[in-house]
Amino acid sequence: MSSTRATVDERIKETSKLRKALIRPELGAIVGTVAVFAFFIAFAGDSGMFNAQGVLNWSTVSAQFVIIAVGACMLMIAGEFDLSVGSMIGFAGMSIAIISVTLGWPVWLAILLTFALCIAVGALNGFIVVRTGLPSFIVSLAFLFILRGFTIFFPQLIERRTIIGGISERAEGDWLAPVFGGKVGGPIFDWMASQGLIAVFERGTRAGEPIVNGIPMLIIWALGLMILAHVVLTRTQFGNWIFAAGGDAQAARYVGVPVNRVKILMFMFTAFCACVFATCQVMEFGSAGADRGLLKEFEAIIAVVIGGALLTGGYGSVIGAALGALIFGVVQQGLFFAGVESSLFRVFLGVILLFAVILNTYIRRIITGER
Amino acid sequence: MKAALKKIAVTAVAASALMSASGAFAEGERYVLVSHAPDSDSWWNTIKNGLALAGEQMDVTVEYRNPPTGDLADMARIIEQAAASAPHGIITTLADPDVLSGPIRAAVDSGIDVIIINSGTPDQARELGALMYVGQPEYDAGFAAGQRAAGDGVASFLCVNHYISSPSSTERCQGFADGLGVELGNQMIDSGQDPSEIQNRVMAYLNANPDTDAVLTLGPTSADPTILALDQMGLAGDIYFGTFDLGGDIVQAIRDGVIAWGIDQQPFLQAYLPVIVLTNYHRFGVLPGNNINSGPGFVTADALDLVAELAGEYR
Amino acid sequence: MSSFDHNPIVEMRNIEKHFGPVIALNGVSFDIRPGECHCLLGDNGAGKSTFIKTMAGVHKPTRGEILFEGRQMSFDSPRDAMEAGIATVYQDLAMIPLMSVTRNFWMGREPVKRFGPFKFMDFKTANDVTMEEMRKMGINLRSPDQAVGTLSGGERQTVAIARAVHFGAKVLILDEPTSALGVRQTANVLSTIDKVRKSGIGIVFITHNVRHALAVGDRFTVLNRGKTLGTAQRGQITPEELQDLMAGGQEMVALEGSLGGTV
Repeated sequence: MSSTRATVDERIKETSKLRKALIRPELGAIVGTVAVFAFFIAFAGDSGMFNAQGVLNWSTVSAQFVIIAVGACMLMIAGEFDLSVGSMIGFAGMSIAIISVTLGWPVWLAILLTFALCIAVGALNGFIVVRTGLPSFIVSLAFLFILRGFTIFFPQLIERRTIIGGISERAEGDWLAPVFGGKVGGPIFDWMASQGLIAVFERGTRAGEPIVNGIPMLIIWALGLMILAHVVLTRTQFGNWIFAAGGDAQAARYVGVPVNRVKILMFMFTAFCACVFATCQVMEFGSAGADRGLLKEFEAIIAVVIGGALLTGGYGSVIGAALGALIFGVVQQGLFFAGVESSLFRVFLGVILLFAVILNTYIRRIITGER
Repeated sequence: MKAALKKIAVTAVAASALMSASGAFAEGERYVLVSHAPDSDSWWNTIKNGLALAGEQMDVTVEYRNPPTGDLADMARIIEQAAASAPHGIITTLADPDVLSGPIRAAVDSGIDVIIINSGTPDQARELGALMYVGQPEYDAGFAAGQRAAGDGVASFLCVNHYISSPSSTERCQGFADGLGVELGNQMIDSGQDPSEIQNRVMAYLNANPDTDAVLTLGPTSADPTILALDQMGLAGDIYFGTFDLGGDIVQAIRDGVIAWGIDQQPFLQAYLPVIVLTNYHRFGVLPGNNINSGPGFVTADALDLVAELAGEYR
Repeated sequence: MSSFDHNPIVEMRNIEKHFGPVIALNGVSFDIRPGECHCLLGDNGAGKSTFIKTMAGVHKPTRGEILFEGRQMSFDSPRDAMEAGIATVYQDLAMIPLMSVTRNFWMGREPVKRFGPFKFMDFKTANDVTMEEMRKMGINLRSPDQAVGTLSGGERQTVAIARAVHFGAKVLILDEPTSALGVRQTANVLSTIDKVRKSGIGIVFITHNVRHALAVGDRFTVLNRGKTLGTAQRGQITPEELQDLMAGGQEMVALEGSLGGTV
């Protein structure tokens, strides 16, 4: 045997550039996105789904999914789950409502305190997981119940209600509230309305104003979080640690990766994302309800899985998760435009999930050489 | 092919007729009913049936939409979405004015006629610019039931709330307490939606508070398991039992004397009437001058037969 | 052989390790010098794993001393041993198959480049160095983005070895690197070991395959039931003798003489 082997192993087939460019974790989600849009353009193209109002509607719903899917994606790549996301959304909203409306403190303070509280709960969640070595599935399931229980208990105890409203009035003139509940790009939409490009209100106090008068901050947050998470994951040292922690925690520890710290930080980030979701919702609707966010944790996980992430960790893509969220949002809202009976939504979702997972498994085998 | 062409032609004529608001006969109207009920709530089946029947009779397209988990924020999105698809009218509940008033007002302002049904009040409907309100004011219904129970000698009660996150559910309990003239306090329990959990919680409460005079349930979801709980504890027919809404088991229990009365808000009318009203308004420009109270009606053991026959379907 | 002119980098003296009532190691002595390949042989259960984990800082010895470059040392964690220059390539924990070669290579020690207040991973440097180091070991990667899972077992071992060498290991412990490999893959790994040795790094090569050991080993120590049976120089022992020694039993007595009476 000669000591050098300066040739490529002949058993690794030459792959074409095109194939190489195509084979990426997000491929399944990209294919899915194209297919879903093609479907709805064909069957609901003239139903209002693609006018300004319709686009805003499904992109807002998708943006909500993106926000929690980004958090869930990072955490899943780090090898853990958080089932308490949905409860956290209800909890965070209620916390803002109680602090600002019941206690009468400023809204900005309520928001900041709520973020601190949620991130602390996320850290506790993560701490328990890494300390006890219990599956995060169980630990966060416990938090699902604990947080939901508090979310019903406290407003009932304090206000004898399970929905607290009046936040919009409290938020008027607040400096932080518009960061979550505001809209941007208003003048552009005014101009588009004046050019007759988009629909305007026909009557009422807002007659003549465009129906869509700006891009909600929710969408800006979704894009921002997506880009941030993508860059951190793929371009930084910390991102490498996230992959390592989820890929094989023991191997990562052997080379000095602070696996526990990475995991706890990811739990905190997931909680942060849930809190962003809740704050945007509360600022937009002006009330917090005990049932907000029900089952959102599963919707986030489904979006992440459609996006090509591996349930066991160590593999995935934020862009894929965001596309998964887009598919989810477009299908959920689009079936209505296409005139499909709403109870069939779950059937479609199940079918898409199944196809996405099968396709993703195939792609992943090609990429990683799993056998 | 010929028929299809004819239909298109008729639709085009109808549409132009509608636009000129001549009030002539038209077809092709589309109405969307948005409810706040989760998929699991069987009571809304009556609404679906009433809606479908009205759509068939008036020859209009009707669609039923609801948030799968009962999340009201999702419901707001559904209303926005319904508005984006530009129907002729939207029929919606007003389960939480804070969340829903924005989307509803936007729909009204973009030229869609809206009728509020079921939850909400006539005042809130007027404020939002809706055409009218069809339903049963929850607090008033609870209050009337409370007065009736007070007349029958009830002084304490248990309210089994299976939908605690909806303010209107709590208002029913509150109204009942006020009608009785007692504090609500801890007499309302959050029972959840699972039948066996509801059954066990009712039994636990009644064991812990044996001097409870009456039980109030808020619909079939909480009433059916409560009937079972009372059967098991030997209290069926002994304890004073009233419920909101009707269903197959509730009707049977009224017949058996287990339930004293059921408050029928007649949901059929809440779905059926708005479609009739909207269609006639769009075709002939006629509109009733007032809100419509679909309830409360108290259903007792007398004259149960028709109710029994149609319970769960149209009653 | 030139390597014997040097003092040992690591010297382990009379190491004992007890796990409760079980005596896993009962007085093992071992040393490793720069530029040599010292093979540690033994059948399953002989105590090889416990011994190298003691050297790598995973276990603390119950009795005995560890000298590192002549000074007494006590490693509290694998990290400590690694900082000192003792790198271990475990048979199964070497690599994360889902991650790219570059990401694996640099895991825990990623090169960073500043961009204003932000710090990014320097992928250009990382990729270039990875490709270069792998080329030195005789493996031309298709791409540094290639997932480790697409590499063969031998190539994975080579990445792990290259990584240890790049980060300045003085002693490289290889835990059964050839046990799960085919003939050709094994040859590749053995040639890698040869290259690394020539660069002056001391290699501890754990194996139970006599032929693999004889192919690259300078010295051979046989472990049986937690004890060293002795250490032989290259050329002092035949494959058959080594094989019998490992197997233990009757033949062992007959062979004592050829081991230099160190039993």
